Amino acid sequence: MQYQRHITLPNDVQTVTELGLFVDEVCESVGFDMSTTLKINLAIEEAVVNVMNYAYPTGTKGSVDIDAQVNNGGLDIVISDSGTPFDPTQKGEVDTTLSAEERSVGGLGIHLIRQIMDTINYKRVNNKNVLTLHKKLTKNL
Amino acid sequence: MYFEGRLDTAASAQTEVEMKPLYDCTGHDIILDCTQLEYISSSGLRLFLGLLKMAKPKGSHVYIRGINEDLRQVFAMTGFINLFEFK
Repeated sequence: MQYQRHITLPNDVQTVTELGLFVDEVCESVGFDMSTTLKINLAIEEAVVNVMNYAYPTGTKGSVDIDAQVNNGGLDIVISDSGTPFDPTQKGEVDTTLSAEERSVGGLGIHLIRQIMDTINYKRVNNKNVLTLHKKLTKNL
Repeated sequence: MYFEGRLDTAASAQTEVEMKPLYDCTGHDIILDCTQLEYISSSGLRLFLGLLKMAKPKGSHVYIRGINEDLRQVFAMTGFINLFEFK
């Protein structure tokens, strides 16, 4: 039986703590070490918070589905929602060499996701945003 | 100011309120003690950057003390490792 887990969260960033527990459990089951688990946690939090903040109009209740499964020698996390079309991969690259005065406060989320995850894939399917993040499982030393 | 545990998006709203007194920092340096901090996401990083943007023009230094290796990597990924001074 292939490993699969699922959680649905409302578009409320306070539930990010619950998301963290879900991701910790998934990563531990799949065999990632603690350091990698922390980074995966970070990438998924960033992606899910983006959905919570931007997919639904302000004041609208919405939800985001997070599915985890082992696939192609790694972990697939699929984040989907029924909000307005929103492709986070379209955001431009962040310049991390700028000084504090020049740095903008935005764009960090997608930058971290790109740094941490091995692949990021967005598609719009059946009126849903579907974002798939993949992290390869490498043998821990 | 001491940080501990997870500074995720859920925690950052409250943390922002608690950090407000630090903004009145003219003539003082600020130390953000992260020895007990296990996790920080972009919301938390944004708070740190916001503080730095306020502090620099006032001539105040912002020092980060005690970040662990995992957090050091997060700071490196975002370039924040070059923005702050570390103790």
